[in-house]
Amino acid sequence: MVGNPNCGKTTLFNALTGLRQKVGNYPGVTVEKKIGECYSQHGRPMKIIDLPGAYSLAARSPDEAVLRDVLFGRREDTPQPDRIICVLDAANLERNLYLVHQILDLGRPVIVVLNMMDVAVKTGLRIDTHKLAAALGVVVVACSAIKGEGLVELKLAMSRSDLPLARHRWDVPAPIAPAVAELQASLSDADAQPPLIARAEALLLLTDFESVRIAGSKPLSARTAAVLTTWQQRCAREENNWSGTLIRSRYDAIDTLCGEVLRRTRPQELSGSDRLDAILVHSVWGWLFFGFIMAALFFSIFYLAEYPMNWIDTHIAALSSGIKTMLPPGDLRDLLTDGVIGGVGGIIVFLPQILILFFFVGLLESTGYMARAAFLMDRPMSKVGLHGKSFIPLLGSYACAIPGIMATRTIENAKDRLVTILIAPLMSCSARLPVYLLMIATLLPAAALPATWKAGLMLLMYLLGTLGAFGFAWLFKRTLFKSARPLMIMELPAYQPPRLREIIRQMVERSWLFLKNAGTIILGISIVLWFLTTYPKHPDPQASADAQIAVSFAGQAGHLLEPVIKPLGFDWRIGVGLVTSFAAREVFVSSMGVIFGVQDNAEHALPVRDALRAARWPNGAILFTPLVCFTLMVYYVFAMQCMSTVAVVKRETNSWRWPLFQIAYMTGTAWLVCFAIYQMGRVLGY
Amino acid sequence: MPSPLNLLPLCQLSAGATARICVINGDDSFAQRLREMGFGEAALVTKISGRTTSLCQVNGTRIALNHDAAMAILVEALPAGVR
Repeated sequence: MVGNPNCGKTTLFNALTGLRQKVGNYPGVTVEKKIGECYSQHGRPMKIIDLPGAYSLAARSPDEAVLRDVLFGRREDTPQPDRIICVLDAANLERNLYLVHQILDLGRPVIVVLNMMDVAVKTGLRIDTHKLAAALGVVVVACSAIKGEGLVELKLAMSRSDLPLARHRWDVPAPIAPAVAELQASLSDADAQPPLIARAEALLLLTDFESVRIAGSKPLSARTAAVLTTWQQRCAREENNWSGTLIRSRYDAIDTLCGEVLRRTRPQELSGSDRLDAILVHSVWGWLFFGFIMAALFFSIFYLAEYPMNWIDTHIAALSSGIKTMLPPGDLRDLLTDGVIGGVGGIIVFLPQILILFFFVGLLESTGYMARAAFLMDRPMSKVGLHGKSFIPLLGSYACAIPGIMATRTIENAKDRLVTILIAPLMSCSARLPVYLLMIATLLPAAALPATWKAGLMLLMYLLGTLGAFGFAWLFKRTLFKSARPLMIMELPAYQPPRLREIIRQMVERSWLFLKNAGTIILGISIVLWFLTTYPKHPDPQASADAQIAVSFAGQAGHLLEPVIKPLGFDWRIGVGLVTSFAAREVFVSSMGVIFGVQDNAEHALPVRDALRAARWPNGAILFTPLVCFTLMVYYVFAMQCMSTVAVVKRETNSWRWPLFQIAYMTGTAWLVCFAIYQMGRVLGY
Repeated sequence: MPSPLNLLPLCQLSAGATARICVINGDDSFAQRLREMGFGEAALVTKISGRTTSLCQVNGTRIALNHDAAMAILVEALPAGVR
């Protein structure tokens, strides 16, 4: 299944396979091929591959290169598909036909799907599908994937065993023909490509000298490479513009075709999306709206989430107290209340806020506002040497850096892509949310201050991370990755009403993932940590909780670490949290719950924030002073504390060099900035 | 053919105006991608917004171009009402 970005491929793929791939209204949702299964009308299983969207087989970025190499049968992990479903946005037929035109060259069985036909009809377009089918020699199906219209017809076409091979009335432009013929011969002899695929590949190789190569694809044979080089040199010497000639020839053919099959019932005018864009990307109104959206996000995280959070908090405390009254004192009771409930319960409280964050991100994605935000950010981004497209992965990283880093595959320039990968984890992700919230709750007593203060402090953390990301992008683009400022071309998709079902499904999926993490990794770490804080036992069984934890394994290890973090105002107990939360940032909260919960031997379980407020240095000074809370938040803004991100960066950059560099620069910065803040704060008397 | 004097870079086209694309400068790979997206010579563009980053409508789609890209595209402004 192939097509331009934003033509609705993934929606169609989900409708056909019943799979639930993520759908978004911005380019780059599908960056890797996805495979699903469905059944033909005769009950035979069929495999469908959803390939990344592309405007052309002349790949400019790694995701587009996947499409090209699969179609040419050059991927080692994917066999050449035996039929190709070309998905087109019917409302934008000319441009979408360009990729189809290239694909028809392959001479494979092709089904052309005119998606979003309902939208096209509404804008006054009439497409004669029968004429189109006759002209291209393929099956044409009109459908609307969102409404589920035309799916039966499409499945019927897919089930046919006698699909015609694509043939179209178009000849290779004369100036390129001799070169194509020679390269085609070499490709079919030396690379064992079938004749028509060899011709299509020859055409592409001769007109796309700067094509992107990706790992895992079969390279050209030596003979073909030699033939290609000879023609490339000749083309350059004679200053031929083969690529321009070829594109013009294709568009001429498409124009003729559209003249036959396309009719406009009313003249083309600016659409509703165009008029909305005139406001939403306006240099004043656009920014105001952007600010409004962000403010709404932060306020709802604080105001709306408070009710469900209090509810969860009360129930967890009740559960803990219940266990304490039911079970006799002992290690089992402590393990359950301090280890399991103290750790996992402390994390589950933050579920409502994470749900709100994902609701907002889902809203931005499905309406198409994401691409507008990238447009607005292009100017600030250009100041640091990147372009607006880099902002989409960064915006996605506010939810989680992992999909953000995957989305960088749409960035054409390899150096810009690497810079974007390196800075993406500086955007405050949802895993930092629990840490910020815990610190803000400890810092500011609940009743004393309005939620505005809390939201403002939180916003400050997000701003700090964003500014940090920009600062490092600027630094990297000037030192390690010097390259010219990239030229940006980006399509802005039409606005769509938010698809609430899709958003809710994603929220459920994310919360399930969050709860699963809480039930596995965080539970495991909490239990291990409880063990490490409880054993070895203090020789005196009546020893205070403080004395007990000081002699435990965790206490001993923490004391080793303390000299490194003491200049930041952190004691060894915070140090243990910093180490355990390297697995994932939210583990810090559960670790604090376990460590300070263990210390609190009272019959009533305290919320973690109250336990933290009660914590003291050995000399009796308050441990979590406002300054320390603030410093700790700043530490989490910058420090690289996420194993999954490290693994993804390793995979995306294909080496250990960049993830290690990333850990070093981010955590190093975190230490330095925290050192400066804490020491200055001390001098100023906080 | 229009005289070269009438050409201006796309970024200087005023919002709401329509123009015809005449020359695409910039590197080959950039020009190729623009032409493939239907943004080639002779195409009609309507500027929607923007002076540094430009938003244009071509053939029913909205294409955003950054300042450097919009500088590389020379257009001939058409009188109002031509579409």
